[in-house]
Order: sequence, then structure tokens, then C-alpha cells
Amino acid sequence: MDLLDFARGPAIEFSLAVFVLGTIWRLAAVLLLPRRGDLSKAREGAPSRVSGAMGTVFRRMWPNKAFIHRTIFTTLNSYVFHLGLAIVVFGFVPHIQFIHGLFGVSWPGLPTNFIYGVGVITLVSLFAALARRLFHPVGRLLSGVSDYISWFMTAAPVLTGLLATSHLGARYETLLAIHILSVAAFFIWFPFGKLMHAFLFVFSRGATGARFSHRGVNV
Amino acid sequence: MNEHVTAISKRRDETLGDALSRQGISRRAFLKYSAYLASIMALPPSAAKVMAEGLAKARRQAVIWLSFQECTGCTESLTRSFSPSLEDLIFDFISLDYHHTLQAASGEAAEAARRQSMEENKGKYIVIVDGSVPMADGGIYSMIAGQTNIDILAETVENAAAVIAVGTCAAFGGLPFANPNPTGAVPVSDLVKNKPVINIPGCPPIPEAMAGTIAHFLAFGKIPELDDLGRPRSFFGETIHDRCYRRPFYDRGMFAKSFDDEGAREGWCLYEVGCKGPVTYNACATLKWNGGVSFPIQSGHGCLGCSEPNFWDRGSFYKPLSASTAAPGKTIAAAAAAGAALGAGAAMLARSRRNAHLKKD
Amino acid sequence: MSTAQATAPAFDSQGKLGNEERVEEAMHGFVREFGVTAALHMESCVRCGMCAEACHFYLATGEAKYTPVYKLEPFRKAYKREMGPFAPIYRLLNLASKVTIEELENWQELIYDSCTMCGRCTMVCPMGIDIAELVKEARHGMFRAGLIPERLALMDRTAKAWSSPATPAEDLPDIVEEIAEEHGVEIPCDLEKADYLVTVAPAELGDHTKALADAAKIMNKLGLSWTMHQEGFDASNIGFIDGDTDLQERLTRNIIDTAIKIGAHTVILPECGHAYGAARWEAARWYGHQLPVRIIHMTEFLAEVIGRGDLKVKPIGETGTFHDPCQMVRRGGLEAAPRIVMKALGIDLHELKDTGNLGFCCGGGGGVVSNQRATPLRYKVFEMKMRQVDDTGAKRFITSCGQCRITLDMGAKHFNWDKRPESLLEMVADNLAD
Repeated sequence: MDLLDFARGPAIEFSLAVFVLGTIWRLAAVLLLPRRGDLSKAREGAPSRVSGAMGTVFRRMWPNKAFIHRTIFTTLNSYVFHLGLAIVVFGFVPHIQFIHGLFGVSWPGLPTNFIYGVGVITLVSLFAALARRLFHPVGRLLSGVSDYISWFMTAAPVLTGLLATSHLGARYETLLAIHILSVAAFFIWFPFGKLMHAFLFVFSRGATGARFSHRGVNV
Repeated sequence: MNEHVTAISKRRDETLGDALSRQGISRRAFLKYSAYLASIMALPPSAAKVMAEGLAKARRQAVIWLSFQECTGCTESLTRSFSPSLEDLIFDFISLDYHHTLQAASGEAAEAARRQSMEENKGKYIVIVDGSVPMADGGIYSMIAGQTNIDILAETVENAAAVIAVGTCAAFGGLPFANPNPTGAVPVSDLVKNKPVINIPGCPPIPEAMAGTIAHFLAFGKIPELDDLGRPRSFFGETIHDRCYRRPFYDRGMFAKSFDDEGAREGWCLYEVGCKGPVTYNACATLKWNGGVSFPIQSGHGCLGCSEPNFWDRGSFYKPLSASTAAPGKTIAAAAAAGAALGAGAAMLARSRRNAHLKKD
Repeated sequence: MSTAQATAPAFDSQGKLGNEERVEEAMHGFVREFGVTAALHMESCVRCGMCAEACHFYLATGEAKYTPVYKLEPFRKAYKREMGPFAPIYRLLNLASKVTIEELENWQELIYDSCTMCGRCTMVCPMGIDIAELVKEARHGMFRAGLIPERLALMDRTAKAWSSPATPAEDLPDIVEEIAEEHGVEIPCDLEKADYLVTVAPAELGDHTKALADAAKIMNKLGLSWTMHQEGFDASNIGFIDGDTDLQERLTRNIIDTAIKIGAHTVILPECGHAYGAARWEAARWYGHQLPVRIIHMTEFLAEVIGRGDLKVKPIGETGTFHDPCQMVRRGGLEAAPRIVMKALGIDLHELKDTGNLGFCCGGGGGVVSNQRATPLRYKVFEMKMRQVDDTGAKRFITSCGQCRITLDMGAKHFNWDKRPESLLEMVADNLAD
């Protein structure tokens, strides 16, 4: 078994198992904690808890205009790499084939050259995010080892994917194997660091939305 | 053909140049062929002349061809040409002293011919092997004249100048090596450690790769540059994908989704139907087959990756390269169940710790 | 109390607990807070630092340590080690360190001096984390550990004895009588039966007695059955602010139980933000069910009676700007009420650049106004507010929280500002139509 066979087979299978196990573990462990209901009388005309929660889930997609000028870099840069990752992950035909192989669903892909360009932009954006973390006093203060690991686990598949596509540095199958292994590493790390926000943001925003819509505040 | 080979093999002292001119091949045609060989082997232009001179002066090369666990496909490929070509003549020119399929002699006489050639050309003969060597149960699964392939190989390569493993079976174990490998097949390179082994894999290999490698040996007296899998870089240096005429469709994201859809008819990229071109190092896309007529992708089928190790065991030929070969359904279901149990357990533990704190008051 | 050496950061401590016991008590206080919402909010932070850009303390100083979510660091550590999904593994392999006494001491400044729990950070967080609520929960542990600013501890002790941090309960009838005499209004006190129980914040029995008198004037004009009551009169609830949950419960019960006892259907809270948070939104949790009485903020009450036409006011016809008290507006949902009242008063409202749910805190909420250590920081924050008020060009500066008013007043005096914050209640009372 060579590296590529290992990556395509056992490595991906193991990493997906860890991903699913860890993600469900973490979600269940949090969501099954005791819930302190709000017994106060709701503000007259307050929306239901669910619609209040959903409102905040959507409103927090973009900062309020009171904050936008001070958070514009983080906001835009985050959008760039989030959208970039989404386009690369879900638009590149080999990735669609990968997902199809696992789950049996597929959709039309985007041109490889376009994906390549988006990949480069995504990588630049990720480095910009890293630079802010390293050089902005607040970013530096808040960041721990776990944050840098999460950054690395996200950036590595983008970088190795670009190298594999452009055949830079090593033979294609080696690059492809490294790329797949970097994705496996991403899956393994996912449940244990802040990458979990991909699932948690809905619950987190929703909890605040429900808390404050009850009081008649659109947070 | 057999008579032809035997007849020619008698003229031991003739040079290749002599042999060609005797058959009416002009010097100009020979130079052209040398230039062609040099170019497909990516040698510098100046090498063409050196090659031509080297080839013209080359003496008859003794070759012993050992066939082990194989299907004769490699021999078929190498001897099959559309028209008499210079490659044929080069093959004609070598002294093929032992070859099950091609030699006239049989039985003890054949074995005697092998031993005689080994004796006469000690240290100078080339051993070509096609087929893998079965190692299980003392090698009893393939025996010739009462001798195991293991013994024949060991005995034959002992005084050889070089060993060429032709075909994926000899080079990487091939089909017999595929899981579960009941005969314990191994590639030649596993057994031959003290001689240079050139791998010319493919199922079957491209005739030009074979001819070019022998010509290189004849002209320069040494083996060509090899990659980490022992393959001549000149033929196995680039992937099919990199040189594929359908590559622009890959770059534009235009893929055939099945073998009978619009994309397939339009000749779009076959990545999605499992083409292994991106990880297959071979010259099919440039040299093509049957005198440059076509190659699998041109004929509408994805590359199987037949010149790569373990190509049989890498999942379906029709599974896209990027798709995982794992079928993790059960694993994921088990992981989900375990995750839910652990998560619920962690929550219960946290609840009880919290309650202990609350009770303290 | 024990003052730290000159080099160490300033912190106060109460009681005679040893360091280990303090840490244990803090953990005890922290761990009980982690229900599903707090846990989700601990889990989902991506460390983006956007909350800093919402915090007046960070904006006024540019110091990274004032980043809101950073103020939660010990709380977060406790969560990770004690309650998180992987806590058993972290404890087993010691992958997450225990909170230390030094961390708790160092974080006192961040949790108490430089956080007003105003919740502006909650508004910016892309993960929707309610950081302000988490700070409040972290204070519960800090209080148990005896690690809160001494000024707050002093108020806590006083409130335990007097049911108010400033006024002994049994003195209320006398004080109220004095105020009634001074302002020439009738203030019923300790009636056995009344429809409305009117409560106050400490200042209304001290510096802002006019506010109480004005409330009385309005209640009387409306001809309502109301009273004050020594068994439940101070709604400010220091326990809600300093992290003393036992005291918070007791002070809450004083008011609700009294309202029930006298058969009141409504409790009117003073112009006070924290009173609103404690009584309107948190009181029910101490009872385990929805309260049988209505809890209403003075401003909300005014908006209702003016809106219904029960109370008529004369238009002032001047420009004004409004400071939104955080607990009342951003965390309480009363953005509209003061604007309805100001509209009735004919105020030409020039909104601040940051207003309503996104207005900046006065800088004194969450007990910071009472914490003299935080004074320089508070002034820096005040400068931001002063600039925004000046930028509106409005003549009058109005608010509807006594504590905001005190904070803003202190700032105005410090900077010799030409404006003084005014009470919306007093403005209504001063402009009643005959």
C-alpha cells in the first residue's frame, strides 16, 4: 500500500470516524446540559423563542452598521476565506466526486482554473487572518496553541491542494496523498478546536436570540 | 518469424549497421530512426548522432528472455507491429537465445541453449523477465523443466550485465501479486539485488519503450536514467494526464459523467468516470499504440493506471481518483453511536458535578 | 482590606479564606453557572477579537486586555476543566490547567473595574455569545471567593443588614416623610393595601430626592392607589451586580413578596437599569414560576399613561439627545418607551451617533460607578460619550437611569462640561399639563 492508497482508504475512513464521533460527542455533551428556562413574562408582542433565535442566527451574518467600520477587515476577510473554502470544497469536481463516493450525492462542478484562482485568494486571505492574529494586540492576546492549530489545519489542505493541482514540489500522487492526508488531519482536529463553530454558531447565536427576543430586543 | 530470428542469430559477428544495410535500410533512414529514438527518450539532439554511431557499431547482443507467471501479453505487444519497422529489425538483430514463445527449440534443448548462451556471453548478456515470481510453498506454482522460477532467475541473472523487467508483473508483481496473492508472487526487483534492474511496466508495456531502452543500452553500453521505481525516465517521466489531449477539458471543468453521455461523445475529460491518468506515469498519451493510432483515452476509456504498482487493488477502475476507496458507512454509524453515548455520558457527569456544587449550599 | 504590594495589580479581598479555599469557592461559583446556554457560549468563541471593537473600555484605552471575551479567561478555564465535553479527559491527562489564585486576583480588575456588563459586545459577536451575561456569571464565583472590589463588598454588607446599600429599611418612613415635606408632595408609605408598589434606587433617598417626589407627584396626579413600603423599597439590587446570588434573591424577594402581601398588581421600578434587569427579567427564577405581579420600569409606566392619555404633558419644544441605559434598553427591550415620552414632551430628539441597542454605556454600570479604583478609566469612557453628545448639537441631555445619571454627572463635573444629564421622569413631572 503506498501513501496515496493509505490516504484514500484507511486515513480518510479513520478521520471521518473521529470527526463524527468527536462532533456528536461535543454537541451532545453541551446540548444535554441542564437548561435554565426563562420564567419571566415575555415582552408584549415578543416573537416565539424559535423565531427569535432564527432572527439572530441570520442577523449575525453581517455586523450592525455601528460596528462595521471597526470590524471591516475581520468581517470581509472572514467572508473571503469562508466563501473561498466553500467554493473550493464544494465546487471542485474531484471534491464533488469525493463527496459523491462517500454519500452518493453530487452536483455540477466549476472550472478547474476558476477553482485554482479561488484557492489562491483563499490562501492569501487565510494568511491575512494569521497575520492579524500574530500582529494585532487583541488577536495575539486571545490566540492560543489551539487557535494556531485550527488555522494550520484549515490552511494546509488549501495549500496542498493548490500544490497538487499545479504539480509543484513533488509527484502528483505524492501531493495528492499529502493533500488527502491534510484533509484527514482537518477532520480529526475539527471536533476538538474552534472549527466546531461551523456547527455551534447556530446554537450559540440562537440561544442569545431567544434570550433577548423574549425581552423585546432584536440582538 | 521464428525462422527469421534463428537465421539471424547465427550471424554473431555482424554489426547492427551491417545488418541494416544488408536489408536495404539506408543510412539516412537509420539516422532518422536514431533521431526519433533520441527524441522520444528526451535525449539532447546531439545524442542522436552518437546514438546512431553507437547503434551502427553495436555487436549482436545476447538476450535471455525468462517467462514466469505471465500471460504472454507483453511478448504479444512487443512482437506485434503493423509494418516491418526498425524496431522489428532491432529485435531481429539481438540474439534472442532463449524465449519460450519465440524459440524453435523446446524441452531440454531449450534449457541447454540458455545455459550455453550464459556460458558464452558471461557478464555481457541481458536478462529480460516477464511475469512475476511465485514464492509461496517453495515456488512450486511455476516451474520450468523441474526448476522453480526462483532458481532459474537466480541462476540466470548471476552473470548477466543487466536485467530488464518487462510488464507490470515482472516490474511490480502485477495481476498475480493482487490481493490475496495466493502464489506469493513478487516482482523481479525483490529477488535481484546485485544487478541493475530496469522496470518497463505496463500491461502490456509500450513497444517503443522496450525498443528505446534496448537501443540505449546497445548504443551507450549503459542503462538509461531511471526513476525511483526503476523505470526509464524518458518514457515514464510524465503522467498521462499532463500530456493528455483531453487535458483542456479538465482545466475547464468539462467532464463526461458516463460513457454514453454528451460529454463522452464530445470527448471531454474522463476523470469522473475513473481515469487514472493523473497518477499514471507512462508515455501512452504521446507515443500511443499500434503505430501511433490511438490510446485508451482517445478510444473513450479512462486510463487504468496499468503501469503503476498495485493498479488492480486500488478500488474500482471507474471510481474517480479523488473518491475515497473506503466505504465508511458502518464505521461512521458506529462512530456516531459512540459519540452520542460519550457525549451523553459527559453531560451526565457534568450535571452530577454541577449538582454536587449546588447541593453544597 | 489586604492591599497588594505596589508592583502587583490592584485587587481587594474579603474574608479570611486561604488561597486554595478561594480557588475552590470560585470553582464552586463558576461550575454551577454552566447550563446549556453558558456552555454553548463557552464553546463557540473563535477568538476573532471583534468584541474588543464594541467595548468602550477597549475603545477608550486601546488596551488589548480590555477585550471583553478575555475578561472571561478564568471562567473559561474552569469550564474547560470542570464542565466541558472533554473535561473528564482533560482532568485525567491534566491537559487543562487549574485556575490559580493569581489569575483570579489579576482578573478582578477585568471582571469588575473594566466591565459594566452593558452587553455591547454581545451585539457584535459573530457567534452571538452573550459575553455580558457570562461576566455576570463569572462574578458569582469571584464573590464566593471573596475577591471583589472592596467598595462593592461594603455595599453588599450594608445591603445585607439594611436591605439597601444606603438606607436602613426601618428609617424609610422618616426619610420619605422628610422628602415629602421638602418637595411638598404626599408620599404614602407602608400602606397595608395598594395597587402599585413604588420602589426606588438608593440615590432617590439621597441626592436625587426630587426624582422620588416627582414620581409621587405623577402617581398622585393619576389618582392611583400606591405606596412605598419599608419591607421592599430599594430595587437597585447590589447582589445582581457584585455576584452575590444569595443577596440578589433576598433583595428580589423583599420587593415581590411585599407587592404580593399588599395586594399590588404592579411594581413600579425606579429610573434604574440594574433594577430592571434584576426584577423584570431575573426575579421569576427565584420563584420557579411566572410572577403574579407585573414589573414595570418608570419610563415604561410613563410611556403607557401618556400613550393612554391618562397623563398630559406640556411640550417643551427644545432639542435634546438621549443616553440609552444599557440594562433598560439593550438588555431590557425598552428602546421605544423613552422616545414615546420625549415625543410627548415635544423634544426635538437628536439621536447620538451610537444609540438605542447600540448606544455606549455611561461607563459606570455593573458597579463600576461605585468602584473608586475605576475612576480614571470611567473618565476616559465618559469623554467618548461627551463627544457624541456634543456632536448632536442638542441642548438637553436626557437619560432615564439614576446610576447613568450619577456617572455622567461625575464625568461632566470632572471635565467642566457645560451639560448635565437630566432625568426623563423629572422632565415629565416638571411639565405636567395643569
